[in-house]
Amino acid sequence: MKLSIDHVTDFTYDTEVTHSIQYLRLTPLPSAGQQILQWHLDVPGSVHRTLDTYGNVLHVCTVDQPHQGITIRAQGSAEISEDEQPESDNRIPPEVFLRTSPLTQTSDAMREFARGFRATNADAQAGRHQLIELMSALLERIPYRSGMTHVQSSAADAFAQGFGVCQDHSHIFIACCRWLGIPARYVSGYVHAGDDQHIASHAWAEAWVENAWHSFDVSNGLSSSNHHLKLAHGIDYLDASPVRGVRWGGGAESMRTYALVDQMDRRAARLRDKQKDRLQEQQQAQQ
Amino acid sequence: MTAIEKPAPHLYDEMLCNEGVHEHYRAYLQWLENTPDATLEQKRREADTLFRRFGITFNVYGEEEGTERLIPFDLIPRIIPASEWTHLERGLRQRVTALNRFLHDIYHDQEILRAGIIPADQVLTNQQFQVAMLGVDLPGHNYIPITGVDLIRDSDGEYFVLEDNLRTPSGVSYMLENRKMMMRLFPELFLAQGVAPVEHYPNLLLETLQSASDADSPCVVVLTPGRYNSAFFEHAFLAQQMGVPLVEGADLFVRNGCVFMRTTTGPRQVHVIYRRIDDAFLDPLAFNPDSMLGVPGLLSAYRDGNVILANALGTGVADDKSIYPYVPDMIRFYLDEEPILNNVPTWVCRREEDLAYVLEHLEELVVKEVHGAGGYGMLIGPKAGPEELDTFRQLLRDNPANYIAQPTLCLSTCPTMVNEGIAPRHIDLRPFVLSGSEIKLVPGGLTRVALREGSLVVNSSQGGGTKDTWVLEGAPC
Amino acid sequence: MLSRTANSIYWMARSLERAENLTRLLDVSHNMSLMPNSKGGQQELLAPLTITGRLDQFRETYPQLNAEALLDFFLFDEANDGSIFSCIRSARDNAHSVRDKLSSEAWESINATWLELRHRRQRGISHEGVKSLIDWIKQRSHEFRGAAYGTMLHNNVFHFMRLGTFIERADNTARILRVKLEVMESQHNSNHAIDFYQWNALLQSLGAYEAYHDKYTGGLTTRNVTELLILSAELPRSLRYCIGALMSQLIAIEGDQGQAAKRLCAELHARLEYGEVDFITRFGLHEYLNDLLRRIHTIGEEIHRSYWEGA
Repeated sequence: MKLSIDHVTDFTYDTEVTHSIQYLRLTPLPSAGQQILQWHLDVPGSVHRTLDTYGNVLHVCTVDQPHQGITIRAQGSAEISEDEQPESDNRIPPEVFLRTSPLTQTSDAMREFARGFRATNADAQAGRHQLIELMSALLERIPYRSGMTHVQSSAADAFAQGFGVCQDHSHIFIACCRWLGIPARYVSGYVHAGDDQHIASHAWAEAWVENAWHSFDVSNGLSSSNHHLKLAHGIDYLDASPVRGVRWGGGAESMRTYALVDQMDRRAARLRDKQKDRLQEQQQAQQ
Repeated sequence: MTAIEKPAPHLYDEMLCNEGVHEHYRAYLQWLENTPDATLEQKRREADTLFRRFGITFNVYGEEEGTERLIPFDLIPRIIPASEWTHLERGLRQRVTALNRFLHDIYHDQEILRAGIIPADQVLTNQQFQVAMLGVDLPGHNYIPITGVDLIRDSDGEYFVLEDNLRTPSGVSYMLENRKMMMRLFPELFLAQGVAPVEHYPNLLLETLQSASDADSPCVVVLTPGRYNSAFFEHAFLAQQMGVPLVEGADLFVRNGCVFMRTTTGPRQVHVIYRRIDDAFLDPLAFNPDSMLGVPGLLSAYRDGNVILANALGTGVADDKSIYPYVPDMIRFYLDEEPILNNVPTWVCRREEDLAYVLEHLEELVVKEVHGAGGYGMLIGPKAGPEELDTFRQLLRDNPANYIAQPTLCLSTCPTMVNEGIAPRHIDLRPFVLSGSEIKLVPGGLTRVALREGSLVVNSSQGGGTKDTWVLEGAPC
Repeated sequence: MLSRTANSIYWMARSLERAENLTRLLDVSHNMSLMPNSKGGQQELLAPLTITGRLDQFRETYPQLNAEALLDFFLFDEANDGSIFSCIRSARDNAHSVRDKLSSEAWESINATWLELRHRRQRGISHEGVKSLIDWIKQRSHEFRGAAYGTMLHNNVFHFMRLGTFIERADNTARILRVKLEVMESQHNSNHAIDFYQWNALLQSLGAYEAYHDKYTGGLTTRNVTELLILSAELPRSLRYCIGALMSQLIAIEGDQGQAAKRLCAELHARLEYGEVDFITRFGLHEYLNDLLRRIHTIGEEIHRSYWEGA
């Protein structure tokens, strides 16, 4: 499947910002599961490209001049493989992803919930099918609902709340996996959810089972990532978030972000339709 | 002079022994005996006034912000004979070399984990292990330019390593100020005895920091959390002594992969940061997002090799109390040598058999949190009441991996001026080891003394004081 | 030099200068308050409050304006961030944060002042009397200046310190002069005796009483006082002297920053260097002082912009 992405993040500030710096993880890397056809990142200020701790592409963007707002735009297209292509890259030992972080600590309630998904055989680790069950049970227990949690919410907060968005689902899933002794990591990226023009900046999880990283998209109930374009992964949201910044001055901030994910062959068809319509309109006008 | 109170018979005293006095203290004791009480008292007051006027203070957490206190300074020096120091120095070099090798290894090939010497998960899931350091190559593979090693002596006078400090060891300014004070108060003692000098420490430190960078004439700065930090005096002191800028996080910024400081003539690139801020606060974009102390973007510049941090990021995993028990094994593994300085015997409570032993013998042991520091979160079995023992038993059962236990050590004592006269008090020793192109030490270090009678806690935050530490170069005359 | 260091040094010096200026002002007020009201005693008590713009703040805490309340408010009141206690604390705090840039003698001097001031505050004013307390503060200020002059490198650190001193001092002189003028203008029937005491107090509070009599023979006249305090090239608290000193410090600071501040300062200095009393009188002394204060304020803003915001 070919996806086209147009992702704009717009910050505006009440007062002048004298200096700001952003860590941007907005550039996908090619892998077995995704081929990047073209990609362009549009950011203000001086930009430095490097790789972060987990091997994600990181742009460090510094704006020194006083400014009232910042616009960051990522655009491009990618070919997503139809079959699940688990990554077996272990340059970073998978055990590292057993570490907990403030956002992914388990609560008593979460441990109680996860206990049922332990491997039946005491010596064996839970396998992929158990994690799929965990994923479904989790979505049932914590249905998707926005506005109940916020970006700073931890897995435990969201679990107690009873509702969550993709970030919360991923955090809870990761926390449970780690507690079960399975390395798991947070993934940020885009998903094509079928209906066109869906708001599609997304988060899911990967767990290290059967010697590879397998995807678990809890919010969509998917145990594969063949609708997904991955941007970055890390211990939790803070490590993998597409935009993370610090600024001096500025007062209150408002952020507007939209990501359009479109299936390209369909888009081409729609464009043709539009052109046809316009032609017809023109013809009608002439008449 | 009033008589010196006799040390307890089962303890090692630095000055006094069965035969009277240790040879290296003979000349000093003679001087002390000939010095009237009133003179000592007057010198003591003078020292107090001077320290306060110089502003040689530390801030205590938990008290009103900005409360500044003096660290009590004791006039009676701790004296180490040259032969003993030579032995200590060899042991310290060996230990620091192995610790540095360990750090490079766990952030690269992880041979020690694969060899099964240390359980991998204990390192990889340790909160002090910095994933960001994996595969990062540091110039000279030097992780720990500045180390402070805490040493104690048992009842036979043998030295043991109690703790390694590989993050931001502090106290060296007191070592230097104590010496300055002693030379000011008692110049005649220094004329008569061959006390090895320590005053060149700041020069060595600067050389060490400069040699950590590949840049031609590297710009070195000291990064402090600010003047409310408990060790601010030391930060300012070292910056001044080295002649380098003392910066706060807000003075630095990252652009195009490099770190700059804001100066009155515009931005200036910084190559080496002697940071006195913990890992978690260094870069709010990579670690604790609420930190106002660090420099946003610093991690990216650091990983790209455009700035050096001293000490490196992620050194805390090697001085963590859960890793400490393995240091002798590291020495054998990396250097193929037997440790010159021994560890204090340690029970690792995450091991079942160790935990069982600890629970059984709790009232004889000292229990410490693996990530604790500064003498907090600690149980001293023999001094604890039944209630405290029960609390710790529960804590140990709930989270055994969080604790280690050690026998109650009978730290050596040294005669110390107290209200009642001169009496033995427990002491430890923190020598400072500088690792650059070579390893350098100034003789001695900081001697800390527990001023309360019988107390084993030497931390300044809990009523400890300090003494000048003399390494005698030749035989005393 | 680090921008923050420059900033702290500058404010350390400004706070110290402020404390010293306030001390002189209180000294005079205290003397005047001992006089019968007919000679303007009550007016004199008001002066420090109007000059520093703290009348409202004072009234919130103190029911009555008398010498005792005034001294308490300005000497030791912790809640008053313009009190001598607060100024010296702020100066010491700033010094503390950059102590590695001060000579140890300069640092010890300011630190000792702070420790001793706390001690004296605990004992209270009555313990030693106002006069000796005021003398002590002045002495400590002189000592610090001496230690700084005599032991610090005369480099950027020093220049930023002097910058803070002179901008504060210029501001203070202009303000005092303006307030005095207002007081005298408000007393419609010019009473020679009151005028005399007013001018006298003014000169005292700027440490210029002896200088006046050294330079001018005869009585105190508005013309001469104006000339001395605004245009004198010799009096260390005259506006011309302060702005001249400010100018030379700005020039001495390394680097190309601060062009705007230098330009504004040079313009102001030219006005003063080639100024004439007759012109000031024609222009209107009050208006002239307002203009000066505006300019000094702008120079201060430019210093901020060039050296610590722009870096």
